[in-house]
Amino acid sequence: MVVAVVISQLVGRMQASLIAATAREREATQLYELSIALTGLHNEHAIAQILARQVQEVSQGEHVELNLTGTEPFSFHLPEVSSPIRPPELTVSIQAARGNLGEILLWKSATPIASGEKRLLETFASQGALALERARLAQAESRAKVLEESDHLKSILLSSVSHELRTPLSTIKAASSSLRGNEVGWDSPARVELIEAIDDEADHLNMLVGNLLDMSRIESGAFKPKREWNILSEIVGSVLARMRHSADEHKIEIDVSENLPFVPVDYVQMEQVFTNLVSNSLKYAPSNTLIRIRANIQNDTIHVQVSNQGPQVPTEHLERIFDKFYRITAADRVTGTGLGLSICKGIIEAHGGQIWAENIPDGLAFNFTIPLIWEGVSAPSLPMDTETE
Amino acid sequence: MSNAPHILVIDDEPQIQRAIRTILTEKGFKVTTASRGEEGLTLAATNEPDIVILDLGLPDMDGVEVCTRLREWTQCPIIILSVRDSERDKVAALDKGADDYLTKPFGIEELLARVRVALRHSTSRQGTQSKVIRAGSLMIDLAWHIVKRGDEEVKLTATEYKLLAYLAANHGRVLTHQSILTNVWDPADANHTEYLRVYMRQLRKKLEADPERPQFILTEPGIGYRFIADE
Repeated sequence: MVVAVVISQLVGRMQASLIAATAREREATQLYELSIALTGLHNEHAIAQILARQVQEVSQGEHVELNLTGTEPFSFHLPEVSSPIRPPELTVSIQAARGNLGEILLWKSATPIASGEKRLLETFASQGALALERARLAQAESRAKVLEESDHLKSILLSSVSHELRTPLSTIKAASSSLRGNEVGWDSPARVELIEAIDDEADHLNMLVGNLLDMSRIESGAFKPKREWNILSEIVGSVLARMRHSADEHKIEIDVSENLPFVPVDYVQMEQVFTNLVSNSLKYAPSNTLIRIRANIQNDTIHVQVSNQGPQVPTEHLERIFDKFYRITAADRVTGTGLGLSICKGIIEAHGGQIWAENIPDGLAFNFTIPLIWEGVSAPSLPMDTETE
Repeated sequence: MSNAPHILVIDDEPQIQRAIRTILTEKGFKVTTASRGEEGLTLAATNEPDIVILDLGLPDMDGVEVCTRLREWTQCPIIILSVRDSERDKVAALDKGADDYLTKPFGIEELLARVRVALRHSTSRQGTQSKVIRAGSLMIDLAWHIVKRGDEEVKLTATEYKLLAYLAANHGRVLTHQSILTNVWDPADANHTEYLRVYMRQLRKKLEADPERPQFILTEPGIGYRFIADE
């Protein structure tokens, strides 16, 4: 009898320790799963969601609420409804080395929360705290990198801009001061020349400032095209009419049919794309060479190419020439802000298109595409006008 | 000089005020300046200028608002000054009754051309509008609905003629897309700029020597069109 009791007690104890062992094994597995799920996450919201899901799965509670404090407080509910009105059965704080990061609230009225379960949830919380802290550190680090990068760009900008702005300013100052003094006679031909120089350089300054403004608008996302159905050949024509003085040392060939469908673009911005691409070609391609502008339709996209017979660009630079301030040649050998092509890129991308450069057998070609479908609609057809006066 | 046309300049930048005052005074105009919108409105009411030159970026109120308030009681021509890339503001001001615009920085000859056009239109508002408009070899007779290029009559469709007549009657002035569409088509068509693109192209083909480099029907990018006639 005694033996029987002892044996049954022993069996009971073995069973209990077996249960405890299984429970511990399950806890370990769950903890392992959580830490795997949290690995590599740098997004606080994602971490919070995974943590809340795991808590819910382990506790089988009716509602889990997870609150993160900090500069951008965030709450997550499972299920995604508001919490029960009564106070939660369990509150576990998410405690990191640097302080409290938030809390997990658990509503579970069906069965009491065992001490083992509470301990497990606390472990979860501290795992979550570690992941959150890691994420915040990573964010701070990438912010620092971005700042460093933009600091670097700013100093390039400042040196490029002050160089670029000072050149026309020097001309203006020299010309206006000599006109003001008595160095240049009233009917000297030099007088006209100086006045023209002031006028041209003022225009040049205006263009530089315009480019800088455009670039800052593109970067801040404030560059919204005012799209309308336009005729591409009209835009190309007006750009070339305006540029004909600067383009008189090159031949320009246009193959843009006026019968192409309407293109949904911002007229002014599109003019700028053509102006910048053609100026770039004028600047780098030798005199008396050919610049070609072509456009054709491929499916629901218009493909435009501006090509020149200038020097080719090493393959590794082809993509980077659209980066701002990126130059292949030394900055002091070419004029310009180094912004022209990046502005083109900003404009084309704002229109939902793509822009790229490629080497062609006798030179360099800029290509861009623009979708012809705008807000789900394709180019309109026009009202008929057949009557005569 | 008591008959000299009176121009009110509303602009808060002293350098611009100085430059415009110097040049316009030199050209025989009487010039008054204001650097704030409210001040400008008061001066406009007391002085009844012949032309108002108005900057859109004023410190105390929106230039478009100044335009609207002026138009409540006067039809005097308003020329807008503004910086590049503010097409929306320019169009808003033009649609609120401004007559023309200049983008800063501008050349003085541009300013003087705008002022001349504005003065002509302020006289034509008093009922002496010319019925025959000449532009180079073009002759547009608004009374008889006849358009000639040299000695040859140009055949236009009804819409083409209506469009050309509207442009020519307002020659020298910038006309916004919306105002053309509303007046030549229908207020319901005010957004169909593609009509304009097509009809302007047709008109240019019939009227211009080189339709790609028009001399008479000029595009004002992002704003509208302007018809250039002989002075």
